Amino acid sequence: MFKKVLIANRGEIALRVLRACRALGAEAVVAYSEADRESLPVGLADEAICIGPPDAQRSYLSAPAVISAALVTGCDAIHPGYGFLSEDEGFAEVVVAHGMTFIGPPANVLERFASKAGTRQLLGAHGLPTIPGSEGMLRDDMHALAEAERIGYPVLVKPSAGGGGKGMRMVRTSRELESVLKVCRSEAKAAFGDDSLYLEKWLDENRHVEVQIAVDRYGHGVHLGERDCSVQRRHQKILEEAPTPTLSDAVRADLTERAIRAVVAAGYENVGTLEFLVDRTGNFYFIEINCRIQVEHPVTESLTGVDLVAMQLRIAAGEPLGISQADIRFSGHAIEFRINAEDPAHDFRPGAGIVERYHAPGGPGVRMDSHLFTGYEVPPYYDSLLGKLIVWGPDRETAIARGRVALEELVIDGITTNVDIHQALLASETFLEGRMTTNLLDRVGSAAFLAAAARV
Amino acid sequence: MPDQVPADARRSPDDDERAADHAAIDRLTGELLPALIAKLGRTGLGELEVREGAWRVRLRRPAGPPVGTRERRASDRGGAERSMDRVPERPPRAQHLHPHPEPPATARSDSRSVATSPAVGIYQPRKDLTIGSRVRAGDRLGAVDMLGVAQEVVAPIDGVVGTSLVEPGEAVEYGQELIVVEFGVPMSTNGTGS
Repeated sequence: MFKKVLIANRGEIALRVLRACRALGAEAVVAYSEADRESLPVGLADEAICIGPPDAQRSYLSAPAVISAALVTGCDAIHPGYGFLSEDEGFAEVVVAHGMTFIGPPANVLERFASKAGTRQLLGAHGLPTIPGSEGMLRDDMHALAEAERIGYPVLVKPSAGGGGKGMRMVRTSRELESVLKVCRSEAKAAFGDDSLYLEKWLDENRHVEVQIAVDRYGHGVHLGERDCSVQRRHQKILEEAPTPTLSDAVRADLTERAIRAVVAAGYENVGTLEFLVDRTGNFYFIEINCRIQVEHPVTESLTGVDLVAMQLRIAAGEPLGISQADIRFSGHAIEFRINAEDPAHDFRPGAGIVERYHAPGGPGVRMDSHLFTGYEVPPYYDSLLGKLIVWGPDRETAIARGRVALEELVIDGITTNVDIHQALLASETFLEGRMTTNLLDRVGSAAFLAAAARV
Repeated sequence: MPDQVPADARRSPDDDERAADHAAIDRLTGELLPALIAKLGRTGLGELEVREGAWRVRLRRPAGPPVGTRERRASDRGGAERSMDRVPERPPRAQHLHPHPEPPATARSDSRSVATSPAVGIYQPRKDLTIGSRVRAGDRLGAVDMLGVAQEVVAPIDGVVGTSLVEPGEAVEYGQELIVVEFGVPMSTNGTGS
């Protein structure tokens, strides 16, 4: 195991990594920007070192500053947390070139999984279903109609050179398809100078489900079940839970087993997450892989009792997993509420300022991962995550009940938070019945959603 | 730019070799260099070197403008209390948890200012600098080596070099106080500071 680890991150995840280092007997050095001098991870660290100004480009995102800090403090490993430099293969490479260990997948593994299209192809070849689409580009209208028939309506017409929704149309019938092809071609031509189009199956009521995996250096891997992250706002996750409501045991087993088989075969290493879209009938399609620890990892930790950050450290240190799939037991139900400094009543406007009073909830099955304390000043430079409230219960109903109590008990005075949206979710029929889909909050609108919940 | 070109390729009149050389130059300027420049930009590294066969390409970032030299309170943080050396008591010291742990800004002295570190790395003062040397604002007082790239430490004000708060070759963090510069001190005093 490492003797001294540099934590190149901030906020709740810096605290989380620090705790894991302590539990493994490694010293923790926290690298911080000037804006985080008075933060909890800095105060709790064995050592802390200022690496730059508040601007993340010159501190948390500066590979030379982070590596220099690790060298002058005598660290033998760097944990990047999530975001910032966590999936930067160039950074991982330079860390190793300076004789230290990058706690995460090795640089060559990060590189292999860096491109979304490339990863879909790679893991598709190892047995993961990907979203069905046309074979190559559409040659003409006849070809388009034949391919759409084969894929099955509704389909999405997409330009080859693309982005920003330009030249994209969802069609439900062959007649609609015929009528939009010409428009899409001219839009694509105008926007990208290239009018080639292709088709992708349209999944309108889908869930976002992800599989947590861990693979050691020796190609031994386990999955740690899945998480449902369907509650999103503009593609930002708000609430995550496990197990996924309404997912049958058979589909769950198929999804998780295929996921771990594919990543092991493709040569993945360390802890990671595979994201899928799951449609109403339980068909799942691989979307992308996240080569890092994720914000919502405590959901899985609550169900399995496995310390995922410690597992990252052990794998990076070259230790074998030491457990097999049969050793991973799943118990009960867990829900994570992301507590953000943002105002749901005003289009989730982010906030900053001084926390005048902070009280974390407690009780059985309640975990609060947060860097807040009374008097802490939330800096305006970084993301709005203030902490994560994770509740566990032997079943979903108990977890929800404990969630209600804990959200009620949580006090964060002085900063507007999104706690209201969580309380609205826990009052909504759609959520209580486990029928959340990724488009729900955006479709209904958060304000309408809050108002509806307030009437209940 | 390549600082090494295979000499035999230059000398040879052979068309094939010349064509190969041209192709290599085309590839270098068309693909490799833009990719390397992009990589250098992304990583923020100071220097990048790539070898391929007889070719070697080294990119070095020009030294950036000096940063982090704003004036500071002389009483802000002494050398002995640098946070990279400190081992906090556990649980964290109470002052960490106060909303305004900084002392009130009453100790600001107009007669002295402190040059601070522009980066995290190893500090080296300018060799010819001694206590009492006259400097102007913006003069180089030394450098902090951050992963092989020297970041300049500059004088915050016109004045006379005073006490060094850090030894040469010592590790320093960003913003750390390095050298006191006294303002308006007569040449006759030795300017050792407080």
